[in-house]
Amino acid sequence: MPNSKDSAVENARNDLASRLNINAADVKEKSVEDSDFPDMALGAAEDGEMSGQMITRGWRIKLEAQGQTYEYRADKNQVRAFKFKGKNHRI
Amino acid sequence: MNRNNFFIHLALALVLILVAAFAGQLSRWRKHWKAHVQIVPATEKKQPATAEEIALTETRSFGRPEVLVKFKRGISQETIERLTAQRHDRVEDRIESVNGLEAIDDLDNADAAAVANEYSQLPEVEYAEPNYDIELDEAEGPLVPILPHDPQFNDQWALANSGQRGGKQGADISATLAWATTTGSDKVVVAVLDSGVDYTHEDLAGNMWTRPASMAPYHDNELGTIDDENGFNAIDSASDPMDQNGHGTHCAGIIGAEGENNIGIAGVNWKVQIMPLKFMNAGGFGTTKDAIEAINYVIERKKAGVNVRVISASWGSTQRSRALGDVIRKAYENDILFVAAAGNSSTSNDRSPHFPSSYDVPNVVSVAALDRHDQLASFSNYGVKSVAIAAPGVDILSTWLGNAYEEKSGTSMATPVVAGVAALVLAEQPRMSVDDLKKKLLASTDPIVALKGKTVTGGRINAAKALEN
Repeated sequence: MPNSKDSAVENARNDLASRLNINAADVKEKSVEDSDFPDMALGAAEDGEMSGQMITRGWRIKLEAQGQTYEYRADKNQVRAFKFKGKNHRI
Repeated sequence: MNRNNFFIHLALALVLILVAAFAGQLSRWRKHWKAHVQIVPATEKKQPATAEEIALTETRSFGRPEVLVKFKRGISQETIERLTAQRHDRVEDRIESVNGLEAIDDLDNADAAAVANEYSQLPEVEYAEPNYDIELDEAEGPLVPILPHDPQFNDQWALANSGQRGGKQGADISATLAWATTTGSDKVVVAVLDSGVDYTHEDLAGNMWTRPASMAPYHDNELGTIDDENGFNAIDSASDPMDQNGHGTHCAGIIGAEGENNIGIAGVNWKVQIMPLKFMNAGGFGTTKDAIEAINYVIERKKAGVNVRVISASWGSTQRSRALGDVIRKAYENDILFVAAAGNSSTSNDRSPHFPSSYDVPNVVSVAALDRHDQLASFSNYGVKSVAIAAPGVDILSTWLGNAYEEKSGTSMATPVVAGVAALVLAEQPRMSVDDLKKKLLASTDPIVALKGKTVTGGRINAAKALEN
């Protein structure tokens, strides 16, 4: 099932809550912007991952929790945590 | 001698003088005629160009190599003469109307584009370009651009940029001129290592590779026997390489959408065999291990007799894998060119390498992207040491899933342009080695000011030049 912008934000919020071991209600949506990413891993490839080098339209999602800002990147096919504690994660 | 004989001899002498003078004039007229008149052989396949098409015709350098070099403001004539003398060249003429512009004659008879490229690398030079000779090749006649009747061809600026949508006329790969020599061959197989290919697409189906009936299904000691009738799927070796994303189908169309079939677009090759290899999923990403598995498949099929000479790799990452480098080297040892996307991070691959395009393996050709104005695409990676060449890669129209067509941007789109030109060269010279093929591609560019100091060649691939002997 392809992501919509809303479902991508929801997935990102739940993922961040899980990683920080907090309630999803404590994760605030700071901003969601349409964005062009440099590749099909949305510029957030995991270790050992290769991606198509095509400019890919998606959403840059910024969430706030425990006084910090976290970035997620999403398109209709995927949601990724961008450099969460220095590493990218496809969720 | 009597009086009558004297007059007879005088008349004969006058007649001989007149004949000699007239013959000399005839010779001059003939030379003049050859230099200015185009005699175009009419054939069924290569129809004569219209006036508009002729406007697109590029003249080619068949005579002495000469370059036009614009030196930067403040560079003295003495310096200019020293720089040219160092290269065994000489300043033939100063173009007074443009300050610093010099016509330079190369005394070594080197290739004009190469000489221009050499000058363009100098810090004293603003730009340099070949001075194309307007003489015609009397032996072969001029190349006449061939325009296909595919209905969306006018939107393919990469192949023929007539200035559509505000682009720069001529900022293309000279495909229409190349097609006067060849439109490709179904004897050449190009592997598209990607998200698979929609091999049922109406504009691709006729150019897809299928395993010959005489060839046994692929067998791998670990994977077992795989039915590779339509190519290879490294993600799930039980299924076929049907594309579920669209990226691989787009790249395949750039290389070889059927030309002159009155459908959609034309590929760089009108005729070719595209071998689909799938290692990226519906999201457009995949693992290094599956990429290696797919390259291994290509090598094995080459060994089994498939004439697969080019792998087009429109993907990558910043992570180096020694194993991936090793299998690409193995492809080199099997005479297979590996054309790879330079990446889309707007960064220098000299400083931050991007793989597989940055592997120091002789068969790798790293490709940057240009826009329709001959500018390096804003997203494109570059590298005067590590990125070989550039090709159009912005707003490129090609095939997409479900018999559709879409415009996409990326070094992903520039890569199959170069892979496609490699296939055209192989259509003409099937026995050319991978080393010579790479050399040929890198020597077949148009110097682009925006690429000075950005790529090894400093130029945009030119398919017509690549087909010159």
